[in-house]
Amino acid sequence: MSMLIRQARTLDPQHNIDKLQDVLIKDGLIVEISNHIETQAEQIIDASGQLLIPGMTDLLSYLRQPGNSQKGTIASETKAAASAGFTCVAPSPDTQPATDSTAVLELVEDRAAQAGFCDLAPIAALTQGLQSSHLTNMQGLSKAGAIAFSNAGEDINSNTVLLRCYEYAATFGLKIFLQARDADLSNGHMHDGALATQLGLNGIPVMAETLAISRQLQFIEHTGVSAHFQQISSASGVNLIRQAKAQGLPVTADVDLAHLCYTEAQVQGYASQYHVQPPLRGEDDRQALLVALVDGTIDAIVSAHQPHEAAAKCAPFAATELGMAMYDTFVPLLLGLQGQAGLSLNQLIKATTSTPAAIAGQDSNGIMVGNTANLCLINPHQIWTLDEATQQSAGANQSLQGQVLTGRAQLTLHRGKITWQA
Amino acid sequence: MSLSPSAKLQLTDSGELRHFLTVDGLPKTMLERILDTANSFVVVGNQEVKKVPLLRGKTVVNLFFENSTRTRSTFELAAKRLSADVLNLDIKTSATSKGESLLDTLRNLRAMHSDMFVVRHSDSGAPHFIADQVTPNVAIINAGDGRHAHPTQAMLDMLTIHRHKGAFDQLKVAIVGDILHSRVARDQAIALNTLGCQDVRFIGPNTLLPTEAASLGVTTHTNMDQGLQDVDVVIMLRLQTERMDSAFLPSAGEYFNAYGLNRQRLAKAKPDAIVMHPGPINRGIEIESEVADGSQSLILDQVGYGIAIRMAVMSMAMSGQMQQRQSSQQEGN
Repeated sequence: MSMLIRQARTLDPQHNIDKLQDVLIKDGLIVEISNHIETQAEQIIDASGQLLIPGMTDLLSYLRQPGNSQKGTIASETKAAASAGFTCVAPSPDTQPATDSTAVLELVEDRAAQAGFCDLAPIAALTQGLQSSHLTNMQGLSKAGAIAFSNAGEDINSNTVLLRCYEYAATFGLKIFLQARDADLSNGHMHDGALATQLGLNGIPVMAETLAISRQLQFIEHTGVSAHFQQISSASGVNLIRQAKAQGLPVTADVDLAHLCYTEAQVQGYASQYHVQPPLRGEDDRQALLVALVDGTIDAIVSAHQPHEAAAKCAPFAATELGMAMYDTFVPLLLGLQGQAGLSLNQLIKATTSTPAAIAGQDSNGIMVGNTANLCLINPHQIWTLDEATQQSAGANQSLQGQVLTGRAQLTLHRGKITWQA
Repeated sequence: MSLSPSAKLQLTDSGELRHFLTVDGLPKTMLERILDTANSFVVVGNQEVKKVPLLRGKTVVNLFFENSTRTRSTFELAAKRLSADVLNLDIKTSATSKGESLLDTLRNLRAMHSDMFVVRHSDSGAPHFIADQVTPNVAIINAGDGRHAHPTQAMLDMLTIHRHKGAFDQLKVAIVGDILHSRVARDQAIALNTLGCQDVRFIGPNTLLPTEAASLGVTTHTNMDQGLQDVDVVIMLRLQTERMDSAFLPSAGEYFNAYGLNRQRLAKAKPDAIVMHPGPINRGIEIESEVADGSQSLILDQVGYGIAIRMAVMSMAMSGQMQQRQSSQQEGN
């Protein structure tokens, strides 16, 4: 199969490319890039006014299988990921059962391969059943494809167990992904601020994050394990990561898109769609997260896509389940961040393509001749409505359901194959 | 002026009360109307025949997901004095414990054509959720949700203050005790602010004061003697003894020493200050018997006013709800 994408603004921050180009794809590879390509291709796409970027990599997503297929399936959610321009997704290990054995890991990989929408960069469980007591077969899981190990949202209470996790990971040079939050202090439902007081909801203080980051940094410094902090939510959390990097510790960090776009104010009126962990915080925190992306303290943006069936969000706030379905709104929300705190389009694309790919140890697949054709074509001006007809994820927990949005992925190519076309 | 989300949910298109979920967001005129209406019902309570026909033919369901005999009894009495048919459902021992969801329970009750739900629930925002997403055409009265709100209790306290102290704008009011877990305290603070009170104080140890309490329009005091200085009204809150188990407080004795209301402490307030408590009181833990039973205490008056306030909001919400139904039916035609 051959495809010629004509005159898109071709943007690949990793290789400093930002110009109007024709790109020719043949048999899954990018075979030619130039100002003008004179050739016959089976498919020719006029992409003037559109944006061609490398396929995006998501370092945190909940694909719900095995165990929770009423919320979404690997097939439905990787398809939704493709519709947002992703070609590689790192699923969270908190499946049921947890992704703590090669059997579960292979099942997840097989389902994704069958569906064929995205490559997987699976994160395996750090402890068996995420129970924080026994180590998983990390070496075996790594050989079976796990790119890193995480205890998902479960805090490891015992310092002894945590130290052994780090020491064992260091033995085999494995990477640890961390959702740093103190379990004890996270026993609430929203950011601990004025609105929590007004709504009578238990607050989660910023200290839930800073205590946990500080603690993990001690282990990182002691063992030299390279670690990736996920979903930083606060200005104080950002400062700790900044200090750790300045100190030369082997750490990277990400932020989820919702925390860049929203604050605790969204919860007003008990809006359960915004019941998330870590909680949406104040405007100062949101600004600090944006600045951290600009100055490189935070490396990547993740979706933290958590699809749910409608009933999971239909209850009094505290009784609803955590998380937002993000893929359907990912592109318009991401593009909407341009210019905020000085964030450039280049920085936004870098934080969703080459940087997360490098953290996941994946080929970066930039837009270069000879590379695999993992590409996404975005129309940044398209105006569309999120409704039943356009929604791709099985998740009913869409924060922007029924709203008019600007910007949409038009075409996603995964290994040269069309996995999404609007 | 744009309305807050909670005000929008509680009021009809023409600004009448249709649900009563919290005093937050309700305009001063609405709170004054509730007080005026309740005042007229205080008279009804003193008559030989205590019934008025305002809710005749209507069905009121007391939906208590959390036990409270006292609150439920006053709501039941209020509904009966308004001539409504009353159904008491103690949900804690009924459907939801058999695995039926809150949503299914409510849908069943709606199918029985109830007109009003009086809801008490341990989750903050539960009555809000019901009014917003489940049964918007049934008037919802919040009888206490989580640590969020207990607006009828707050309004009966306002009625008590109003009947004994008159206008709110010159008053100094202290609310003392476990503010953090109190569903009443924030509604009291908001109601006092809305009604024009300039000086509302929360008094308690830091473990029992909420984050950013100032956002509720109050000042906070950890020293009780200082906090009580020159106040006109002292509202004591009940201390749940389980607070000692979760490290909020060391002991009841130490709490009483620092925050219990005794005669010496009360002397810091104005000589004619009134003392209130939502009940049931813990004598010797938050208040000394001598003060609870003393001449400045209005604790028993509050109970009587509670019925009048509940009659007021039930009759107002029912009439607002009926209006809203009629106007939306007309739009539908």
